[in-house]
Amino acid sequence: MVDVKEQNDIFGLIGRKLKRKIECFVIGGSAMMYYNVKENTKDIDIVFLNEKDRTEIENILRKEDFTERNTRFLYHRKKNVPILLQKYDMRFDLFLRDIICFWLSDEMIERVEKVYEFGDLIVKVVSLEDIVLLKCATERAGDRADVKEIIEKVGIKWDVITEEVVRQTKDREIFSVFLYDFLMELKEDLKVDIPKEVIKKVRTIGEREMVKRLGK
Amino acid sequence: MKKCIDLAEELKGLHTLETIQKELGIKRNTTIKTVSLLRKEGLVETIGGGRKKRWYRINTVPFRKYGNSGLYDMLNKYSRIKLWKPYEHRIFGRKMSVEEAIVRAVVSGRIRTVLVSLYLFNHVKNWSRLYKYAKEYDVRRKIGALYDVSRTKLKVRRMDERIRSKLLKSKDKSKYIIKPFKSKDFLEIEKRWNVCVPLNKADLEVYDEW
Repeated sequence: MVDVKEQNDIFGLIGRKLKRKIECFVIGGSAMMYYNVKENTKDIDIVFLNEKDRTEIENILRKEDFTERNTRFLYHRKKNVPILLQKYDMRFDLFLRDIICFWLSDEMIERVEKVYEFGDLIVKVVSLEDIVLLKCATERAGDRADVKEIIEKVGIKWDVITEEVVRQTKDREIFSVFLYDFLMELKEDLKVDIPKEVIKKVRTIGEREMVKRLGK
Repeated sequence: MKKCIDLAEELKGLHTLETIQKELGIKRNTTIKTVSLLRKEGLVETIGGGRKKRWYRINTVPFRKYGNSGLYDMLNKYSRIKLWKPYEHRIFGRKMSVEEAIVRAVVSGRIRTVLVSLYLFNHVKNWSRLYKYAKEYDVRRKIGALYDVSRTKLKVRRMDERIRSKLLKSKDKSKYIIKPFKSKDFLEIEKRWNVCVPLNKADLEVYDEW
């Protein structure tokens, strides 16, 4: 497990080793720690906008004795999987714009709420709404509990979620269907208070998109 | 702690002392004590104070700031006009100087940020550092032009002549501070620095309000 101090230390180390400015986005548990919703995380999830930046960070981590792990166990039969690098109990998941069935849209980049500079490494923390959406995309153990924590402790803007769902569903996978399932599980199993209109809206978007695609 | 979180949940949002008092139905002194307890747990952020009304932003998760002040904290610390932060900017491992804040405000390309940064010229202590950052971000002539603009309205320290002449001799790639804005009032400054200033005299009137 990594806490926020250890995470800042490793970002600082990467930032000192870089020779040019590199921007990245933290998502998942790492981002939640900056919002004080979580104390520690299993892995540091980072998204890059281009392969060159990802390779540069990957090389630095490899020089720091991080070794690659197989993605099969964590992301079984999923596409757009990250590069997994691990050293002791610290693990980095390095994604490239596409995160499983989700992608980092321009609107998500604009919604970034925190920008932290560690030397030449510029870490952008995605908004809480986007953390929820990305948790639905990765669907790993503990993701539902994390989302429950965000909704109950801080609260989220549901209209941002529904707008992003429409964007994500366009010409790509039917993300709204995954989100609908995810929200229903949260509501029924974990008793999270999710507005009925939101669930209805997500379901309508999913149904409309499925009918459209089946008709093609 | 548990009691504080329950209280924070009840009061979550923006408050004045009076609204907290009314919501909890308690005396003024007890309200001050309650806010103090919440602050100890990091659940309160205070805004305003001094001549302004004091506001309390109460949250259910602790407000924690990591690293050192970033661009917007620096601008709000030194300028009389305060800025709304589009995002929280923090720097780790070093501290941002006034000189760096001016340069990065110019690079930001936001008109209000540029306007607010003018006041920071009065707090510049190290002109060579200002030149160094201006060179790094390729905004040397822009910094010179904005310095002259700030001197038309504000009380600003005199720039080191050697730095001024270095700035005048320099070449920037683009002549726009914010494309495609030009000034109608600072034509002389624009001509001297070969830079398009995105401000007019009327924009600087915000400094008169103080």
